[in-house]
Amino acid sequence: MDSAIDWLHAVGWSVHVGGAVTMEFILRYAQRTMPPSQVAEVCKRSGMRYRWFALAALLVVGATGGLMVLRLDDAELAARPGSPELSLGDAYGRTLLLLSLLWCGLVASVSAMAFWAHPAQRRRSSPGMTREEIQVERERVGRAIKIMDRILKSELILSVVALGVGASLSAGGLV
Amino acid sequence: MWASGDELNAFLQVVYGFLHDISIAVYIGGAIAMEYVLGPAQSSIPPAQSQVMGQKTANRFLWLVWGSLGVIIVTAVLRLEGLGHISWSTSFLGDTMGLSKDYGLTVWVMLFLWCVLVANGLVMTFYLRPRLAGRLKAGTTTAGVQASMQVKMEAAKWVGRITKADIIIALVIALFGASLKWGGFIPSPF
Repeated sequence: MDSAIDWLHAVGWSVHVGGAVTMEFILRYAQRTMPPSQVAEVCKRSGMRYRWFALAALLVVGATGGLMVLRLDDAELAARPGSPELSLGDAYGRTLLLLSLLWCGLVASVSAMAFWAHPAQRRRSSPGMTREEIQVERERVGRAIKIMDRILKSELILSVVALGVGASLSAGGLV
Repeated sequence: MWASGDELNAFLQVVYGFLHDISIAVYIGGAIAMEYVLGPAQSSIPPAQSQVMGQKTANRFLWLVWGSLGVIIVTAVLRLEGLGHISWSTSFLGDTMGLSKDYGLTVWVMLFLWCVLVANGLVMTFYLRPRLAGRLKAGTTTAGVQASMQVKMEAAKWVGRITKADIIIALVIALFGASLKWGGFIPSPF
């Protein structure tokens, strides 16, 4: 049971971090040689799937992380290097709190992407639109793509920091 | 800077753990994102552009794959050494690393599966990718164009199959890795 929870936790982080790395270092690289209209199309399509993958992965990370903390017992903690304690008076407890805050930050950024930045990329067009209106709409979509890029970058940085903070728990915590 | 050698070792173990985790995340998450996020997005643009995008994303992803596989094995060895399961000074393998122990058997199965991932990576890099990227020479006959298309479609099919297999294998490795904390997943029959 504990192995399954640990595994799900690791897979959740993997899908989230690996997805963010792929979007940043692979998709962005491939987009450099694409015409803007196709960049918008690929951004829209990939973002549509990625936002749900990322959100589901984070929810799995949160649920399994919570379960892992609930299943910790004092004897198991005492057997670890440095005999960490689950309290804010100990580095282990403070690191867990920081990790929870980072997770909340990630959920907030992915939610912003899923429910605000990505839907804003949808181009509104109608046959009666003037040239100026079309130009304004193009600029608005361009801004939405930039916002989405910034969210993706901040999400990648946050998730890599969270992985580092999580890795420090095996040595008793970082903070 | 470090109060004692133990503190330095503890810090290094955290660094190895972080690098190991991030490499696994890049491998598994990257493969899932390539297959289920970028793949479908690629099919939404014209075929010629889609092929260019496919080549660019796959070439870049292969760099990440090889980097991850390399970091995974190096940090795995360093972590096993830090945990006292292997040693550079005395006999290389500790008592826990024997096939008669659940822990050792699980580690060896993980190593075998890592080798399968490396073999799949070699097939993709040196056999399938060149076939996908192959260009037609001027004056190629219609039959030649059709044959080349057939080769490319077959190669693309195999890339898809191998990527899916790699995702499953990597997830199994992650499961075995998670079980090591509890002494290993595979009960030793020896």
